[in-house]
Amino acid sequence: MKKTLSAVCILALVLALAACGSGNNGAQGTASDGSSGGKGGGKGTIGISMPTKSSERWVNDGANMVKEFEALGYSTDLQYGEDVVENQVSQIENMITKGVKLLVIASIDGEALTDVIQKAADQNIPVIAYDRLIKKTEHVDYYATFDNFKVGVLQGSYIEEKLGLKEGKGPFNIELFAGSPDDNNAYFFFDGAMSVLKPYIDSGKLVVRSGQTKFDQVATLRWDGGVAQSRMDNLLSANYTTERVDAVLSPYDGISIGILSSLKGVGYGSPDKPLPIITGQDAELASVKSIIAGEQTQTVFKDTRELAKVAVKMADAILNGQKPEVNDEKTYDNGVKIVPSYLLTPVSVDKSNYKEVLVDSGYYTEDQLK
Amino acid sequence: MDVIKNVFRTNVRQYGMIVALVLITLLFQLLSEGILLKPLNVTNLIQQNSYILVLAIGMVMVIITGHIDLSVGSVAAFVGAVSAIMMVDYGMPFYAAMALSLLIGAAVGAWQGFWVAYVKIPSFIVTLAGMLLFRGLTMIVLNGQSIAPFPKAFQKISTGFLPDFGNNSIHLLTIVIGIVLSLVTVAQEIRNRRTQQKYGFDVLPMPWFVLKLAAMVAVINIFTFVLAQYKGIPFILILLFALVVVYTFVMKRTVMGRHVYAIGGNEKAAKLSGVKTKKVTFWVFVNMGALAALSGLIYAARLNAATPKAGVNFELDAIAAAFIGGASASGGIGTVIGAIIGGLVMGVMNNGMSLLGLGIDWQQGIKGLVLLLAVSFDIYNKNKSGA
Repeated sequence: MKKTLSAVCILALVLALAACGSGNNGAQGTASDGSSGGKGGGKGTIGISMPTKSSERWVNDGANMVKEFEALGYSTDLQYGEDVVENQVSQIENMITKGVKLLVIASIDGEALTDVIQKAADQNIPVIAYDRLIKKTEHVDYYATFDNFKVGVLQGSYIEEKLGLKEGKGPFNIELFAGSPDDNNAYFFFDGAMSVLKPYIDSGKLVVRSGQTKFDQVATLRWDGGVAQSRMDNLLSANYTTERVDAVLSPYDGISIGILSSLKGVGYGSPDKPLPIITGQDAELASVKSIIAGEQTQTVFKDTRELAKVAVKMADAILNGQKPEVNDEKTYDNGVKIVPSYLLTPVSVDKSNYKEVLVDSGYYTEDQLK
Repeated sequence: MDVIKNVFRTNVRQYGMIVALVLITLLFQLLSEGILLKPLNVTNLIQQNSYILVLAIGMVMVIITGHIDLSVGSVAAFVGAVSAIMMVDYGMPFYAAMALSLLIGAAVGAWQGFWVAYVKIPSFIVTLAGMLLFRGLTMIVLNGQSIAPFPKAFQKISTGFLPDFGNNSIHLLTIVIGIVLSLVTVAQEIRNRRTQQKYGFDVLPMPWFVLKLAAMVAVINIFTFVLAQYKGIPFILILLFALVVVYTFVMKRTVMGRHVYAIGGNEKAAKLSGVKTKKVTFWVFVNMGALAALSGLIYAARLNAATPKAGVNFELDAIAAAFIGGASASGGIGTVIGAIIGGLVMGVMNNGMSLLGLGIDWQQGIKGLVLLLAVSFDIYNKNKSGA
């Protein structure tokens, strides 16, 4: 007994070490790529600091930027902060120490980087804010992002169009969800959507039965689908035992999945009780499948490959002493200065156009969506 | 009268928790204007808390042995992710994937149990490492993606209900189960009373005993009646019930269970009395791993997706449930039922505050205070009864 036991444990130990080993190899692989690129007479190293590996889009963002930078002859140092602010700060500090030429940062908490950005400025390292604005510092040189307000507007307008609110139909029941309160973009998404929906709520054409319309009431901590699911359960049992909900504003695909599970749990999705309109964002694989299956209604696609290209172009221009192309120099005030920005336009995707937007552009293959 | 006082005094920890649960339920029932105890919401309450309750059962056993397990949330996420890969990507039948997932959970538990029991590394450290390790592995296997949708049959674990015979406006089978359950409970209580009398223990006077039985029967039947008004008994409730019965039996009536208490009470004394302390501790962790796996499966089935963020803070909810339910941080004390009640206290508060539309900022603050109050109430009682 004891022998088998220790055998099992040793086996487990070896396996785990092997797993650690391969993980380390991966990390060392990129690191050594980076340094060899630097030594190999390249154009120097770019530091890329991303928030987390637990969301598909950031993984793709990082990979795309590395590819684009390397195509231009730069080497890269890509690191993920795992949604812990301190991790990100020390990772950026380490990049500065290693002497990167430029920093591309998607912040975890846009307010918490002033100090480390100052350190970068002291070394004359330019900083590009990527997707999320870095606040309260004058040393952010440029901002590459999607038009986040527009994302919300797309979600709101989709609901407006599908319910026929413009044509004066209604009243309809709607419930609202917002993103995580510690993410600056969550406010832009929500405000964008509300800029479309608020007039209808005020005029009574849209009814929020729960009465929960303030951001802090509808926010979803950590963008967590499970949290949203429980909240949707409770909204349904408190307000919709006799009424039907016609639309749900969801800011993100992961949250939409939770909302859908909750709705199906109380019998939505049958011919006499169809699912409401449910929005989303990021065109995650699971949600695109759900849209094709007729469950989630819409998502907002942000082609992160394009964003990576924009950021890389900006970086290349700065390092060559040129002025990068921007298309917005008045919207994004970080509290100290207006950061010159390049805004990409997000695209609304539903069952009718997913093929041309997602498949034809090569973002997903037909096989992946089966 | 003295007998009653005695019974209450010796059981004040148990009764205290139940009273707290009843008070909190009534409070939110009033504040939410009757929504909390609507049939649909009672069903929600069970489904929303099932995965925490499963963890709490394992956690209270770990805590009784004087250890802690911080890794359960990550392990749940990891197993959920692996099960999704098996079922969604490789099209494995759900029962095979579930069985394999539970085995993986047990193996994870064995890994941690080995370090805690045989190498004598403090469980806090081992499971802290596990928390990081398995969160990392979750992200590696999922690569940041959510995997969905699960097969229908698998989703049923969390969202399915016991089928009914015929097509009735009320779920008849549920009512029948309620009645059967009450009969079994009454028979059990009467048998216990006889046994206790035979050995000359103090028992409740007859009128009080009848009152207690009446109260138990009432609670069971009101509960099943409420469920019957919606869709009947959710599968997950049957699973939870079975777990509670089995684990209560194991902890109270089996050698293994008594050894767990003995180790937590005084490990040296237990060892000198011939308890195989290492082996028992090891198996407690194996058990915790398997239950964490089960919890991960339930959560994945409920959300109908495996996500890299699954299970964040589950360990804290499970630990809070065990402590609110009267477990002692120094080991040796605690019950499975207590942990379940503790979990329900947290669950009712989550659900109630969400019904009221309270912001998440306030929700967290209030839950923190309740945890502190519940445990201090418990310590206060312990000191009083000890004095």
